[in-house]
Amino acid sequence: MVTTIWGATNKPLSSQALAEFFEEHDAYQGFLYIGYPIIGTPQGPFPIDALWVSEEKGAVIFNLVEGVALNGFQQDQDDSANKLEAKFRSHRDLMKGRNLAVELNVVTFAPAKQNLDGIGDETYAVCNFESLSEWINGLEWIDSSSFPSLLSVIQSISTIRKGKKRRDLKRDDSRGAKLKRLEDSIANLDNRQGQAVIETVAGVQRIRGLAGSGKTIVLALKAAYLHAQHPDWKIAVTFHTRSLKDQFKQLINTFSIEQTNEEPDWSNLHVIHAWGAPGGESRNGIYYSFCQSHGIEFHDFKSAKYKFGSDKAFEGACDEALKAASTALETYDAILVDEAQDLTPPFLQICYQMLKGKKRLVYAYDELQSLTNRSLPPPEEIFGEDKDGQPLVRFEQPAPGKPKQDIILEKCYRNSRPVLATAHALGFGIYRVPSDKTGTGLIQMFDQSQLWLDVGYEVVDGALADGQEVTLARGDKTSPEFLESHSSIDDLISFVKFESKDEQAAWLAREIRTNVADDELQPDDIIVINPDPLTTRKEVGKARKLLYEMGIESHLAGVDTSPDVFFDAGSGSITFTGIFRAKGNEAGMVYIINAQDCFQSWFQLATVRNRLFTAITRSKAWVRVLGVGEDMNSLIQEFQQAKERDFRLHFRYPDEEQRKRLTIVNRDLSVDDQQKVRRGAQGLESLIASLEAGTVFLEDLPDDAVAKLKKFLSDSGKS
Amino acid sequence: MTPREVVRQLNALIGNLIELGLSESQNHPSERRDPSGSLEISFNGAERVTAALKNQPYKTIYDQLVSAQAYSVKMPDGALIQMSYRFTGEGLTGHRLAFFPSPYLEDFQNEPEIYEADEVFADIVAKSVVPFPVRFDFDSDGQRFEELNHPMSHLTLGQFKNCRIPVSAPLTPFQFLNFVLRNFYNTVHRSYANEMLVCAGSFADTIVGTESEVVHIRVGGG
Repeated sequence: MVTTIWGATNKPLSSQALAEFFEEHDAYQGFLYIGYPIIGTPQGPFPIDALWVSEEKGAVIFNLVEGVALNGFQQDQDDSANKLEAKFRSHRDLMKGRNLAVELNVVTFAPAKQNLDGIGDETYAVCNFESLSEWINGLEWIDSSSFPSLLSVIQSISTIRKGKKRRDLKRDDSRGAKLKRLEDSIANLDNRQGQAVIETVAGVQRIRGLAGSGKTIVLALKAAYLHAQHPDWKIAVTFHTRSLKDQFKQLINTFSIEQTNEEPDWSNLHVIHAWGAPGGESRNGIYYSFCQSHGIEFHDFKSAKYKFGSDKAFEGACDEALKAASTALETYDAILVDEAQDLTPPFLQICYQMLKGKKRLVYAYDELQSLTNRSLPPPEEIFGEDKDGQPLVRFEQPAPGKPKQDIILEKCYRNSRPVLATAHALGFGIYRVPSDKTGTGLIQMFDQSQLWLDVGYEVVDGALADGQEVTLARGDKTSPEFLESHSSIDDLISFVKFESKDEQAAWLAREIRTNVADDELQPDDIIVINPDPLTTRKEVGKARKLLYEMGIESHLAGVDTSPDVFFDAGSGSITFTGIFRAKGNEAGMVYIINAQDCFQSWFQLATVRNRLFTAITRSKAWVRVLGVGEDMNSLIQEFQQAKERDFRLHFRYPDEEQRKRLTIVNRDLSVDDQQKVRRGAQGLESLIASLEAGTVFLEDLPDDAVAKLKKFLSDSGKS
Repeated sequence: MTPREVVRQLNALIGNLIELGLSESQNHPSERRDPSGSLEISFNGAERVTAALKNQPYKTIYDQLVSAQAYSVKMPDGALIQMSYRFTGEGLTGHRLAFFPSPYLEDFQNEPEIYEADEVFADIVAKSVVPFPVRFDFDSDGQRFEELNHPMSHLTLGQFKNCRIPVSAPLTPFQFLNFVLRNFYNTVHRSYANEMLVCAGSFADTIVGTESEVVHIRVGGG
């Protein structure tokens, strides 16, 4: 069977016919790419209509003809074959001496052409649906030993990430050298990512995966790919974290140049923030331009927060804008949304409204970013219903010969298995000492246990079901082995406890000096994260001062005048950051300081654990979790348990009742609510004390209040 | 103060700002001896600032300085502090001490909670604040000096072309930083009062004749 990867094409009918042909002829093997590859030539991008690669037949280019006019097809064939051959020739693996080691053929496929006389002449073949198999059967690749190389050249899509950084390496076993090897290994997109880039749906498409599964790069390449195929389309790429802007622009630019020899036309390809603000092109955003074009009120964060509350600021603003907007103003041909989990459904609806006819919306999100639950509802809910009560967007079951609407990137390339599993274990409280309020150590848990499988765990023991014991583990399929084999487990992730914060700072500064001076790491390979956003500025002062005295520059990624940039590129400065700015960024060596703050929190346990999770998962290679005090010891014990079990997660899956309790007990309380709870507790205690002392009798209290309290206690099972 | 003392003081002050969380990013002092024998104590990145910045909108100037990382210290609110001194032998012949507040404050959307909760920003978040640059220049070069019109040590506000408010003496790094913090970060300055480094030392008066008869600035501790 041939696997079809559906790219963007402006020849839909003949492409469809070609896909159907291969569906009918399931004896053929290999991969059929529609609308791919695009070849960069001195004259600009040269798109190949379709390419089939297989071990039996080699590479076959299809020049597609939508109608019946064949004029000039010979020259078109020469062009496609020559350009692809030129591309192949630049790969040594595909050459034998000076000859191409790949069997390369080209055919013009004109399914609408009825009375084709045979299959054309020997050099220039023309086929329709009926005659194509005859022509194909005449092909043969005798020495197909270079098939794996051929496939990898086609699948790799881009070498975009390679050589991103110049490293001056002297030792083969230094951290710098290890990091370089890691970066090179993940430079090539895997097959799944490659398909996600190319597969283009005439409608809504969803891409999910863990942090580090490559969603951002897939989206960037996808934008560049769509732009290359359809330079006249208006395309927007949008996101939540401002620091992504530069990253996107850079990726898209490099990819465009690599694939098409041209810089993208930024007037048609907009990389813009989701929110935006007045002040010209560079500050524009999707929400802002929606408000502007509809002439409705725009909220900046401050006013949105004031009106809708801090948690719902953007959601509220988008929702209000949607309601106020009357007619649909369709601006874009395609919109690609990254970090959709942070952008909420109303924003996706805004995007949907801004799209022309086919509604080509691609939204990518972290399924597990917040650890709370499914981060976005299913598309039927997000996009609402039409007049007849039918959902506007529904994902079709995947079918051969059709582009996939729903893609899961299952491999996590950023974090190794021990690092990721530790982050999950601590984030969920898998090995936390059971609390007497909930009877379990767990802090939060998905309602849909299926999510554990979606994010790459396997059940190795027990059952993934309510009330059942289960053991989950990550395998090589979802956490590639090369991510952890470069260093020992203790080096990949370690926890260190200090007697004082001064000691912590001194140790940190010394380690960083070693990293820079001996380990061949560059300053921007290192980030230091303080989990509590409110104290970061001061908490990192000590260590930064020590570094300054050692002659090492550092900076705080704080409230900054250039919010789009996270690392000062090439500045030779170590990044210190609070947890918010750390989101969406990564580095080889991650130091987390004051981790004790993440062990326990009276009013926001889930939040502080999520911070720890986010911080740990910033690491591409090594993590050091530092902290002081008794809470740090307890945190270390939880980690030890995970480590002793070889980073498997063993726990009893809470049932629905328990999960509800977890959400209540560990929910975030606003400052007001915290006070209410405190006051309530104080009042209750003083009442009890008075009752015990006999200064107040139950009979003194209002009857109905006592009755209500009794009923409340018995209902909640606490009586 | 001697060149050594100035460098030592700069390092100590920058270290102190870092420790207090008041330096978002910084550059170590650099030293460059020019062929004529004068010693320029500046900051790494100073050479990247060009004179082409004259007569540009303030935002442009500010952006260029940020992207060239041409500052001694960048404050958490984005304000830039530049401190450069020039010596011939042991004698001070020039300084350029500048404070460039960020022109973008009103636009911040990222993490406004932190922004609002943090006292570093207390003095500058008000909508009515107009960020403008403040510069203390000193030049003992006889050619430029012109009594009253171009005092050796003077203060320029807001890049006004002929704004040269006479100053009684050159400023030490401490005197300058203290001036900036006291006036533009008053809330922080007060609450960190005990942790802030205080440095002694001063330069001799350079104010002459009629300069002290007009409104002028008297450097204390001299």
